[in-house]
Amino acid sequence: MTTLRAWLQDPSPTSRRQARLGQLWLAWLRIRRNRLAMAGLVIVGILLLVAALAPWIAPHDPFVQDLGNRLKPPGTPGQWLGTDDFGRDILSRIMYGARITLYIIALVAVTAPVLGLLVGTISGYFGGWVDAVLMRLTDIFLAFPRLILALALVAVLGPGIENAVLAIALTAWPPYARVARAETLTIRSSDYIAAVRLQGAGAPRIILGHVVPMCLPSVIIRVTLDMAGVILIAAGLGFLGLGVQPPQPEWGLMISSGRKFLFEQWWVATMPGLAIFIVSLGFNLLGDGLRDVLDPKSAPK
Amino acid sequence: MSLIEIDHVSVTFRAKGREVRAVEDVSFSVDEGESFGLVGESGSGKSTILRAICGMAPVTAGTIRIGGKALPSPRGSGFATQVQMVFQDPYASLHPRHTIDRTLSEPLAIHGLRDSDARVVQALQDVGLPPGFRFRYPHQLSGGQRQRVAIARALMLQPRILLLDEPTSALDASVQAEVLNLLSRLREERGLTFLMVSHDLAVIDHMCDRILVMQHGRAVEQMRREDLAQARMTTPYARSLFDASADRMLG
Amino acid sequence: MTLLDVRNLRVTFDTETGPVEAVRGVSFSLGRERLGIVGESGSGKTMTGRAVLRLIRPPGRIEADAMLFDGQDLMRASDREMRALRGKRIGMVMQDPKYSLNPVMTVGDQLTEGLRRRDGLGRRDAEAKALAALEAVQIRDPQRVMEAFPHELSGGMGQRVMIAMMLIPEPDLLIADEPTSALDVTVQAEVLSILDRLVRERGMGLIFISHDLRLVARFCDRVLVMYKGKVVEELEARHLLEAKHPYTRGLLDCLPRIGGPRGPLPALDRSGAWAQ
Repeated sequence: MTTLRAWLQDPSPTSRRQARLGQLWLAWLRIRRNRLAMAGLVIVGILLLVAALAPWIAPHDPFVQDLGNRLKPPGTPGQWLGTDDFGRDILSRIMYGARITLYIIALVAVTAPVLGLLVGTISGYFGGWVDAVLMRLTDIFLAFPRLILALALVAVLGPGIENAVLAIALTAWPPYARVARAETLTIRSSDYIAAVRLQGAGAPRIILGHVVPMCLPSVIIRVTLDMAGVILIAAGLGFLGLGVQPPQPEWGLMISSGRKFLFEQWWVATMPGLAIFIVSLGFNLLGDGLRDVLDPKSAPK
Repeated sequence: MSLIEIDHVSVTFRAKGREVRAVEDVSFSVDEGESFGLVGESGSGKSTILRAICGMAPVTAGTIRIGGKALPSPRGSGFATQVQMVFQDPYASLHPRHTIDRTLSEPLAIHGLRDSDARVVQALQDVGLPPGFRFRYPHQLSGGQRQRVAIARALMLQPRILLLDEPTSALDASVQAEVLNLLSRLREERGLTFLMVSHDLAVIDHMCDRILVMQHGRAVEQMRREDLAQARMTTPYARSLFDASADRMLG
Repeated sequence: MTLLDVRNLRVTFDTETGPVEAVRGVSFSLGRERLGIVGESGSGKTMTGRAVLRLIRPPGRIEADAMLFDGQDLMRASDREMRALRGKRIGMVMQDPKYSLNPVMTVGDQLTEGLRRRDGLGRRDAEAKALAALEAVQIRDPQRVMEAFPHELSGGMGQRVMIAMMLIPEPDLLIADEPTSALDVTVQAEVLSILDRLVRERGMGLIFISHDLRLVARFCDRVLVMYKGKVVEELEARHLLEAKHPYTRGLLDCLPRIGGPRGPLPALDRSGAWAQ
């Protein structure tokens, strides 16, 4: 353990891998000192664990109906969070629902930021008419309310997880493009970009190898902060019946089906709502903490 | 024969509809193997001339020739193997998220040169850095070490001309001495031609054979190193600049 | 008469890889004179200046046996008392005016803000006082500068505005951290003469922090030479250029000189006992 730590903290690493791992280790030490970020990390970690282990830790099958047991309140032995209107165990459904939530988050996280980052850096680096065209396009997407645009897309493409994700991704990229463009404008005029241009590097090389790594931290931070919003939109689409289809245990869908009993059997809608709330909070806390760790401006000299 | 010829060059920036003349009708030439200095206060246009040579400032009149040939615009990749630049601020001129290894091997990758490993190790050695620095990040280095890396990067493509934009003004005196010594040694070993910009007359005097004094974008006076040491300047501005640096005289 | 007495000052930063001592036991006292602090980057000269105003943020810590300003122990002063001292009785001028002036307020508003809020002056009185301060730092067209935003000023002009701003409350002590490093030599001379006059006419104490030995030798009365957080030598400024200490000597010798020899410049030898 101590030799590993010494290896990670070695001021003169002997390989690329050691240098990179050493950087990660320092970032980890910094984030470990931030209690709220650690809380966020723990929540996200639990989400990952629950999603991965759902078939083994869930007490019941999330699809099996038991009409004799319907709408049991929380605290019922064997069904600690109660049951819904078909007698399905809510805890098990939340656990399986974590998988769907994670799937949506993962798909959105690999599409929207990448698209936004590319549009933003290209726009900022070239400037001129390229910038004008791309930014007006971004403005058009930004001008639509997100949920309405997602609704329109799903209405055209038909309901389902993949289409919901596509709709969310298409509405989520403009803010990333804006952030990346603003950063690119300052990076573009820096000496290290001038130096690599002077060495004969072409635009694709400069953008991908030199500009994108500088924009990445702020985009990653935004992604984690936006994850809460993505979960809510996915839940919203589910709630409206345009995302995941029943009987899938998606959290938004569960809230939607619990709406009918909100006043008498409050837990049916509240339990998945709490799950959304906790996971959103976790991503928000983590994003805030990452801001302190990844922001190159706050890195110690 | 002159290696660098600056022939009646003007640089005009356009900002918010207003024209700013950064350099106006400046001419000088630098011989092969010579070290030429540009001195002046901020806003004199001395750094703009270096940027104009690199194609990073709009030349609105006159021509810049390297080896007798007018430079193409954009500069093209042949230019990179002839002319390289060392920037003023070593904190801003190295990519903060690239290791030294990446920074030094990037020019090799761009030009498809082989033997990247050996060349990077050799380059570090040439500028007096231990091989253990290879995988460090810029923020783990001191200012002087960073400037050595910047010099190593500029020499990776083995250019004939090195443009030096205040290469030591951000450094401590003792580190400045080391970097100046390094530059002198490399010039001797490789027969480099220097075009150096500085506001410090003592540094220019130590490094350069001929000097051009600039003010408000115009060339004021050109003199040899001996003229400076003997205070043989003819224009009042060069004289006032010299007087303000009187404490940098020998003795 | 002693204005400031600092004994055994230490500044420590707790980092991920353990504590780092930026200032290691610095002691000095200052009368109504010009005290220079010289050293290379990382010598702790800036931290010393900031520590006097207790302007070190966590994870940095300040410790001192005593830090007496005009009889008041700054180490024991409450945050509220420190705020009352800062600006009013102890002023500070930083290297780069760009970062010290508020970019979205006109110079006039920034200059009069303190006067109106702290001293309760009316708009007209505050403006008159601000104009007088700008004139005192040799700004020729103070009315125009009052209406300008910081980015509309040149470096020398911005630095003079900073000095004027610090001088309006007539502080007893001014800490100037590299106040002229960003300026051209000709402007530098003007700014220095302004500071010089203020020390002589108002009897202000001045801590002048710089990396430029020749400048400090010309301008200050007394000099502390710092290295790695310690004072390695204290001497009269006029004897600075003939200093005997190996570190000070080394710093002077490695400077190039006009008309000097062309060979390699002597390197600074850091192997002495003082370098520990």
